[in-house]
Amino acid sequence: MTDEQTIVFIIDDDISVRESLTSLMRSVGHAAESFESTHDFLMSERPEGPACIVLDVRLPGQSGLEFQRETAGLGIHLPIIFISGHGDIPMSVSAMKAGAIEFLTKPFRDQDLLDAVHRGIELDRKCKRDQARLDGLQQRYQGLTPREQEVMALVVNGQLNKQIAAELHLSEVTVKAHRAQVMHKMKAKSLPDLVRFADRLDLVIPKH
Amino acid sequence: MSLMGTTEDDVRSFLISLVPPGRHQTNLAVFTVIMLICVLVLTLPFAHIYLSHTEVFVPAYAAAVFVNELITTTLLLVLYSVQRSTAVLALSMGYLFSGLLIIPWAVTFPDVFAQLRLPDTGLQSTVWIAISRRLGFPLFILAYLMIRDDALSIRKPFHRVRRAIIGSITGISFLVGGICLIVFTSDDALPEIMRDARNISSLWQYVPATALLLYAICLITLWRRRRSLLDLWLMVVLCTLIFEVILLSYLGGGLRLSVGWWSGRFFGFVSATVILLVLLSETTLLYARLARSIAAERRTRESRLTAMEALSATIAHEINQPLASMITNADAGVRWLQKSKPDLEETRTALERIVRDGHRAGKVVESVRSMFRKGTQERGPVDLNGLIAEVLRCSQSEVTIGHVTLQTEVDKQLPLVTGNQIQLQQVVWNLISNAIDSMRPVTDRARVLRVSCKRQNRDAVLFSIEDTGIGMTLDDKNQIFEPFYTTKSDGMGMGLMFCRAIIESHGGQLWMKENIPHGTIFLFTLPGADEILPDMRAST
Repeated sequence: MTDEQTIVFIIDDDISVRESLTSLMRSVGHAAESFESTHDFLMSERPEGPACIVLDVRLPGQSGLEFQRETAGLGIHLPIIFISGHGDIPMSVSAMKAGAIEFLTKPFRDQDLLDAVHRGIELDRKCKRDQARLDGLQQRYQGLTPREQEVMALVVNGQLNKQIAAELHLSEVTVKAHRAQVMHKMKAKSLPDLVRFADRLDLVIPKH
Repeated sequence: MSLMGTTEDDVRSFLISLVPPGRHQTNLAVFTVIMLICVLVLTLPFAHIYLSHTEVFVPAYAAAVFVNELITTTLLLVLYSVQRSTAVLALSMGYLFSGLLIIPWAVTFPDVFAQLRLPDTGLQSTVWIAISRRLGFPLFILAYLMIRDDALSIRKPFHRVRRAIIGSITGISFLVGGICLIVFTSDDALPEIMRDARNISSLWQYVPATALLLYAICLITLWRRRRSLLDLWLMVVLCTLIFEVILLSYLGGGLRLSVGWWSGRFFGFVSATVILLVLLSETTLLYARLARSIAAERRTRESRLTAMEALSATIAHEINQPLASMITNADAGVRWLQKSKPDLEETRTALERIVRDGHRAGKVVESVRSMFRKGTQERGPVDLNGLIAEVLRCSQSEVTIGHVTLQTEVDKQLPLVTGNQIQLQQVVWNLISNAIDSMRPVTDRARVLRVSCKRQNRDAVLFSIEDTGIGMTLDDKNQIFEPFYTTKSDGMGMGLMFCRAIIESHGGQLWMKENIPHGTIFLFTLPGADEILPDMRAST
């Protein structure tokens, strides 16, 4: 999983800055893609893989801060590192509040930027991994029959087989069989596992 | 043009004792006189009618004249303290003399203060006080006309002005007191002018004749001179005084409390009021003009500042951008080399980009420099004294608003320097406004701005500007000429950097030192014109 290609998206209107940042990112093993504007970035097809964005605050057209707000709305959850021509404290505060990884003033130390990029990529990697797990879980859950889903909900709610049988008007043996199917299909090794999955799936526990 | 020359011209265009009367003002004065003549003519048929028991109005009349003449005195004294011309002082004392004498005149007027049971000062007191007043006032006007020190003596120190004012007021008070004393104590010894409380004796006829003669002399002198607004309206005053005498003494037949006598009093009141009204209206007009010019100046200053800030920010951004990518490229290059298998191709590309960005930054610097150079092509001989005067004139409102005492020390023999007038002006302007700003928080000592300009050695000029402001910390001192370093909350930190650049481009130096015990001194030197441009001098 760690040998997956990491990628840094660079958005800056100055070609010199774009080129130098691209070179720096590649020199430490990240793939880099640069864009002249946020519009170009949004239009592009973005490869998979853990990534982050290095974004100039001052851009023609849409500013970096506006872009930050917009991406949240578009469901793009890439971590953002801001770079700015001049340190503007109110601007950096609002960027950090909106969830930016870092706010660097040009010229910056390369290590500061690389550290921030590293943190951003790790964050994205974790995000993506969590998302992938959740997707898998979701798929498995969808693979359950409606009856099995019912049983699962009651199981994670801490009810005994007997109680479940009474509630669903089934025999205890049938409940046991369903329960084994749930554990198998959800790939849960133990009851705590199953409870955790349910929690992650945000299952609505039926109320009595 | 010397420093004082410019200031003088500026003040000249504002003081009513120096500004020549405009056509509008002249018309108004002529109209006033015509109206007064109409009143005079209208009174003629009724002049001899006696209005009994009207002496009750005498105190009101006296009080009104007293107040008006006292206010006129005050305003003229203020004018004197600005213009510092003894002639104006003499005129103001005339009003004070006249105003003070009206009080004993009213008090001794027969039957007016009967209820007060004042000791009887005799039948002749009132008329002798009136005579002193009538003959005294034109003498003061004559003094105003004779004293010709109107070369604006603004450099007369203020403490001397104050002493002159206090001395004159004391003198006039003693004079009035003395007149009263003589009149009251030696009523019997004085020649008899009043036969009774209402009628005059034959001796009286010499008084109006003398008064008219004096008025005529003043009027003719004023007519021939007629150089200021004040002169113009003094002529109106003299006309009213002449009408007053004519009514009181001839048309009214010397009969007290007659229609002629009362309309004479009316003219007397007008004469006490004319100058007051002119002074007041001129002051109001001046105030409006001042407010307008301050607003205009502030706008100019703000726009100049904004333009400079915008320029600085642009330059900074333009240089910062290639600088940032140069650093990043260098970092990348180092990292390509540090790899276990160094990538020379990538390193070479990074280095090439550094070269390219370096040239780009160089171009920005070059364009900034050429911007300065464009201005410096228009160099010429600059008179620093004139330049300083011009800047001080522009910052007059800041000086006034900041309650700053301005001291200037100039050398009339200053050599011309070669340079760009506007750039040097900006340097001086910048330093002065910094100095004023630095004194804004000071409340426990005088805020003194001292500007001096003198010959340093044979061909160089040394300019210094001292303030008694908050001074600077050691940190400030080390960095104050650095770009973007500022001690002001709203400063860009470009001003002093530009100042130094300009002075150095003129072949001079700009530095600062501490002012003992408070504040800062900024100094710069500039080479004299003949040192830089010997050929230019030869050609002219």
